[in-house]
Amino acid sequence: MFRVDRRFFMNFDWVLLSLLLLVCGMAFFNLYSASYPPVGGMPPYLKQAYLLLMGVAGIIFLVSFDYKELHFWNYPIYLLVIVLLALVIIIGNSAGGAQRWINLGFFQLQPSEPAKLMMVITLASYYARKEVVNGYSVKDLITPIILMAIPFTLILIQPDLGTALMFVIIFISMTVFARLRWSSYVILGLTGIGLAVIGWLYVLKPYQKQRIETLLNPAKDSLGDGYQILQSKIAVGSGGLFGKGYMEGTQGHLHFLPERHTDFAFSVWCEEWGFVGSLFFLAIYFFMLFWGLHVAMSARDRFGLFLAFGVVVLIFWQAVINLLMILGFLPVVGIPLPLFSYGGSSLLTTLLGVGILMNVRMRRFQTGSTLEDCDV
Amino acid sequence: MIKWTLLKELGEISEHDQAALDALRKRVLGAGLVIVFFAAIILLRIWFLQIHKGEEYKNRAENNRVRIREVAAPRGDILDLKGKELVTNRPSFNVVLVREDSNDIDDLLKRLSMVLKDDVSVLWDRIREAESKQRHIPVRLKENLSWDTLAYLETHNMEFPGIRIEVLPRRLYHYGDMAAHVIGYLGDISRKDLQEAGSDYYRGGDLVGKMGLERLREKELRGEKGSSSSEVNARGFEQQLLARVEPVPGNEVRLTLDLDLQQVAEEIMDTDGKAGAVVAMEVKTGRLLVFASTPRLHLEDFEGGISTKKWKTLLENPKHPLINKPLQAMYPPGSTYKMVTALAGLAKGVINKDTTFFCPGHISYGNRRYHCWKRGGHGTVHLKRAISESCDVYFYNVGMRVGVDGLAEYANKLGLGAKTGVALEYEKSGLIPTKEWKKKKYGEKWQDGETLSLAIGQGFNLLTPLQLCQMTAALANGGKRYLPQIIESVTDADGHVLESFAPQLTGELQEDEKKYLELIREGMTEVVQGARGTARNARIEGITVGGKTGTAQVVRLEQYKHLKEEDIPYKYRDHAWFTAYAPAEAPEIAVTVLVEHGLHGGSGAAPVVRAVMEKYFADRIAVEEIRKAVAR
Repeated sequence: MFRVDRRFFMNFDWVLLSLLLLVCGMAFFNLYSASYPPVGGMPPYLKQAYLLLMGVAGIIFLVSFDYKELHFWNYPIYLLVIVLLALVIIIGNSAGGAQRWINLGFFQLQPSEPAKLMMVITLASYYARKEVVNGYSVKDLITPIILMAIPFTLILIQPDLGTALMFVIIFISMTVFARLRWSSYVILGLTGIGLAVIGWLYVLKPYQKQRIETLLNPAKDSLGDGYQILQSKIAVGSGGLFGKGYMEGTQGHLHFLPERHTDFAFSVWCEEWGFVGSLFFLAIYFFMLFWGLHVAMSARDRFGLFLAFGVVVLIFWQAVINLLMILGFLPVVGIPLPLFSYGGSSLLTTLLGVGILMNVRMRRFQTGSTLEDCDV
Repeated sequence: MIKWTLLKELGEISEHDQAALDALRKRVLGAGLVIVFFAAIILLRIWFLQIHKGEEYKNRAENNRVRIREVAAPRGDILDLKGKELVTNRPSFNVVLVREDSNDIDDLLKRLSMVLKDDVSVLWDRIREAESKQRHIPVRLKENLSWDTLAYLETHNMEFPGIRIEVLPRRLYHYGDMAAHVIGYLGDISRKDLQEAGSDYYRGGDLVGKMGLERLREKELRGEKGSSSSEVNARGFEQQLLARVEPVPGNEVRLTLDLDLQQVAEEIMDTDGKAGAVVAMEVKTGRLLVFASTPRLHLEDFEGGISTKKWKTLLENPKHPLINKPLQAMYPPGSTYKMVTALAGLAKGVINKDTTFFCPGHISYGNRRYHCWKRGGHGTVHLKRAISESCDVYFYNVGMRVGVDGLAEYANKLGLGAKTGVALEYEKSGLIPTKEWKKKKYGEKWQDGETLSLAIGQGFNLLTPLQLCQMTAALANGGKRYLPQIIESVTDADGHVLESFAPQLTGELQEDEKKYLELIREGMTEVVQGARGTARNARIEGITVGGKTGTAQVVRLEQYKHLKEEDIPYKYRDHAWFTAYAPAEAPEIAVTVLVEHGLHGGSGAAPVVRAVMEKYFADRIAVEEIRKAVAR
């Protein structure tokens, strides 16, 4: 169906692939320790390894056609994701009082994860096509706001406030990046504040309010969320300069750390590898993000730039929120550290995002005239 | 084909587009700054947690992980002089609940109560008491399980999540309640003691000595607790043992008490329901061989806290079982005081060996008549007979001539009126009156008539059985007062002797006073051996005993005078004294017995002394009998 060019290898983003594999390798080793001893069934690190292979296959598939195609596929994908999100509410599996998963037999799909990437593609596609000279007016933003509000609402119903807010954050980041008029800032800002107040008063569930309150006063609730964050801080802090050694972390292995292989996986890493190990990991991780921005800058067109930027935004904000939570600056919001925390949907989504980055990178020199190279 | 046109259309990049794309690229750099900003915050925070606060969090992680548990130290054994075990330890099996490990405490307690045969509310009370403690700390639900219950719980432990069996050393009294007042008992440490202890040795719920040697020797007996550190997970389950420090058992305390003698003394007192005291002492060392107080205390009642009801019964008992009578109770000495009067008279030169007084059965002094116990009178008596027949008139005369302060001087020299200093609790000093004392106490002048009562031991003077025993020993050994001691040795777990008995002289008569003792002793020998002695009941075949009876009036109510003795209400009956030493030729042991409301020294107290002495001299008596049998 398509012809693989020699340039495919020459232009392939080997740097990004190396960074990706490094991060995933560390995640794999960390997961082995964080989920030890195995509790039966397939151990999480093995599952993660299989999903990584699946993801790499997905990347190969993604880079094989020009990202321009996404302009077309955007809407079908959007519709599919919305249907899935709606399905979750109807037939989803619940855990911890929220319905977030659809059982696919071999795999529990959490549609809100691909929905994030879908949001990035949708917004990139919209802003790439809708070009305005002096910044977007509020009128221009009605469409993207609606496109954002639909999945946002569906996820809020689950309820999953953390993930829902990610949509707002992605929207704001990409929209601000795309430039607004001053009047738009004022109007949207005021509306946002108004909605937040209404949300606090009428929409937020008590446990969500409690989480935010706990953040403001952690000592108040030493056995609830405050406890989790405290244990995470103890885990990170007790790592010291060189850490306790691989598999030697006590906070994780003795279950003091909650969610130690998912949201708090990086706490385990910090405990076992210390300041040196944390620094090493973060250096690579942030370098990967900077490389993503570099990909955005080198994109051949507006769509590619927006796509790459959006993927970086997606990974960056999740990472920042997760890290700030682990380090005791944010409440427990259920946002994983992309590529590092255990979670198939998140891993696959992030890998596909990285695939988009690679796609943009590979086709940075191509212009419209080279479209013939892609056998469509 | 629609797709194709779409792509074609978008693929065309105009000049204008290129400029807009460059503007966007600049904005990407701005986004880079945002990433740098957050990366810096995160790195600073990690540095703060891991490097700046690293040590603090390391400690907190350790505290999370390591649970240190105390391991109780076996308390030191208490032995008698000959090494017989008086008090040792045995394991006590207790049921404890770790609330953290149980998900349905209500249901658990309901089922457990049926096994323990306790009411559920009793178990709940225990849990409520421990409410403030952390949930992984075991709460004791019941102590001293029977073997049946223990076996049931051990075999059905899966049905009782959170329930564990705790093994603690518990006191085992090999001779029941013997020497209970000396040994004392253990109880939960009180809040006050916990604060006063100051050290971090004790924890709430620890057992400490509450009375007797258990209290006085707490530090030696308790040993040093051990500890075990285990790794626990967040749910409180112990994962592995990290370290264990074995406890150091408490020191072994060997008493000077001879259990054979103690047993004889206590049993004879107890079987007759006598309330009183028996003290036996080695005359040349001060070793206390018998130290008994009756009625005895039931030590098991005190373990783990005595019930209010039982405590009330003890308090209201007219025989005062809570008082350790040999040293915590004071009695008028009665005729046993006559040795003091005799010594004072001899030493002051008022009388000598041959001085006689005529006893018509009474003496008139001032405007009052002072009776002799023998209404018909003793006739002409000298000192030796006065002692052996306990003639009151003789000693009225001596006392009158010596005076109150002269009597006090020699009473003090014999150790009366002051604590002996024995290492036991709450010793009373007794009372030896002087003129000055009366002035101070009552603001009145001393009446000479009072000296007469004093001379026969019926005045203000009070003494403890221990004091009298020490005095008897001093009379027997030639005037040396030894500190009464109850500890033979203290030995640590490795066999090192930390403390061992050594006689301690606390007072001695002067040489010129010592020579009078021989004469007094002759009188005392007559008391037992003489044909008309008052304590012929105390005679022992083959052993010469010297002693002195005493009858201490409790009340001087004339209304009881005409009654037969057995008709007088118990609490108005006289106290009976007998104090003795043996063998008279070379005294070894002094025994003093007081029987509260025992009426007469000769009948009430002397048989107890004899029983103790017979036991003490049992071997020699047996040899004597064989010799006699051979001679026959």
